[in-house]
Amino acid sequence: MAGEPESGRPDDTGELTRGPFERWVAKSIKNPERAYRAMFYVVTIFFLFTTLFPFYWLLALAVTPEDALYEVGLLPAGFDPTVFVDVFTKIPFHVYMFNSIVLAVTTTAIVLVLASLAGYVFGRLDFPGKSVLMLAILAISYFPPAAFFLPLWQLFNGNVITGLELYNTPGAMILPFSSLFMPLSIFILTTFFGQIPDGLEDAARVEGTTRLGALFRVIMPLSAPGVATAGVLTFIAVYNEFFFSYLMNNGEPSNWAPIVAGILQLQRAGQFQITYSVMAAGSIIAVLPVAILVVIAQEKIVSGLTAGALKE
Amino acid sequence: MATEQSQRTGGGPRTGGGTLSGVTRWMENLSETGFAYLLLTPALLLLGTIALWPLLSTFRLSLFADSLTGGLGNFAGIQNYVAVLTGQRNALLPAPFLPSSLTVDALFGSALTVTLIFTVVSVFFETIIGFGQALVLNQDFRGRRWVRVAIIIPWAVPIVIQGMLFYLLFQPGIGLFIGREGNPTILQTLGPFSATPLANTVDATLIIIVADIWKTTAFMALLILAGLQSIDRTLYDVARVAGASKWQTFKRITFPLVLPSVLVAMLFRTIQAMRIYGVIETVAGCTTVPSLSCLVISSFNNTLVGTSATIAFITAGIIALVVSVYIFKYAREEMG
Repeated sequence: MAGEPESGRPDDTGELTRGPFERWVAKSIKNPERAYRAMFYVVTIFFLFTTLFPFYWLLALAVTPEDALYEVGLLPAGFDPTVFVDVFTKIPFHVYMFNSIVLAVTTTAIVLVLASLAGYVFGRLDFPGKSVLMLAILAISYFPPAAFFLPLWQLFNGNVITGLELYNTPGAMILPFSSLFMPLSIFILTTFFGQIPDGLEDAARVEGTTRLGALFRVIMPLSAPGVATAGVLTFIAVYNEFFFSYLMNNGEPSNWAPIVAGILQLQRAGQFQITYSVMAAGSIIAVLPVAILVVIAQEKIVSGLTAGALKE
Repeated sequence: MATEQSQRTGGGPRTGGGTLSGVTRWMENLSETGFAYLLLTPALLLLGTIALWPLLSTFRLSLFADSLTGGLGNFAGIQNYVAVLTGQRNALLPAPFLPSSLTVDALFGSALTVTLIFTVVSVFFETIIGFGQALVLNQDFRGRRWVRVAIIIPWAVPIVIQGMLFYLLFQPGIGLFIGREGNPTILQTLGPFSATPLANTVDATLIIIVADIWKTTAFMALLILAGLQSIDRTLYDVARVAGASKWQTFKRITFPLVLPSVLVAMLFRTIQAMRIYGVIETVAGCTTVPSLSCLVISSFNNTLVGTSATIAFITAGIIALVVSVYIFKYAREEMG
């Protein structure tokens, strides 16, 4: 988009560009590997720039003092880190963060228990109706959230079963999250459980372990990496979700509204009470949990996403 | 459960009283099918009530006329579908479903076409850029791990923050791309953007496309990378021995073998792009860019329950259509 990818090149091919350009070209023609190598670095730096630059700019905007906001450009216009405190004093941002994390952890726990049982069944047992059920679960994950919304909204407002009002409670979000994100975990865990050799389970059974005992003492420990993968992906998916997080509560932090509502509250308070720097600071704070998770668990994310998607 | 206790010959490990061992023994004596369905019960119960029931119920709602009180009107059969798909319902809706003419404004201003434009353009660029990222990540180089983290991070950013980021980037006077009055940036003088791009339908759609490409290309890249890594390395050795150039190797080996993965990745992205909602709500608002999901929610808020359910189901139908096209192509790739 904006940036010149060439700007980063001297670092990598410095000794080559320092000499006359023609000599470099001549060498490259004789040895195409060099040209490929240079192209590779240019492209890599371009990708790094486009993915990371917005974060840098958000930080630059956040630390720019209020009166200099219109001077912000590639560099911050001044330095005033107090906005990171303003985020918490102007609105209860920590409550939104807390709600988001509680919702994500609870959903992840529910999904892991249910999807482990289902993944074990699909990965290790043979029974009539297995492929039909798997196809049905796959099909459900194709539908857009909007196709589930109206009846769920009526259900959670007590219009279907009188007395059952979940709107503005964690249940109104955790239930849709769990059912919509469970299919991915089921497919990831089906793959992992399916890879465990039959002999191990048989041995445990011969020694007199019960079916459930074999599942929890033999199969689960062996598939711990799979369970961790499904857990990380579910946590990120719930933390990032917009649709039900936005529509299943009235946006009040006391009603379990997650960061979606917090960020939107910052945005809608307008530029008078809440400056653009505070919006930027809030975004940076809310991104930190998932950014840390990506750095720690990137292998799991990569393997989980590809296993879940290519399973089909 | 207690009746099963008589079957002492089962595979039960230890004998002993109490309900717990009773349950355990009962479970041991179940057939494999019975045990499978027992373990599946909790998951199926949840999916049944929170996914299957709402789907069927949405379909039922779509068969009833709207009522001004916000409840359901009379049974209308497929009249809602006819009215929405022929454009007769356009005047009542917060935004038209079908464009009334083929002008740019009409195409970007109506739900079906703006969603299709968004989906096709963003998936197209995500595929190309994602392929590039996958080729980079497929190389061995120092710092590969960190490049991969950098490429994945946008994917992990919450939708609302992705929206806020692009809302700020294109905020007149603040963002880099849009200047204040009398001080336009190069993007405004030469090209696509007006002075208030976030309030202009065409500009806002472009911004949302860029935002989507920024965030979700990583997903594409990871799936294509998995395809690249499953290619048998010996094929490349054969190609080198045969004296093939890099381009020939790519065209004859890499591309055909990775194509099925690319199609699967495109399928997943298309499904997700068709349901775009959150970024729009955060960046520009549903009145500026009325995607299909936006229209479902805004007509519901205007007490058009039947119409809203109809549009939700049409959206699902379009997605199902796209899925079947891809699966057809994928099956053909696999066969041939």
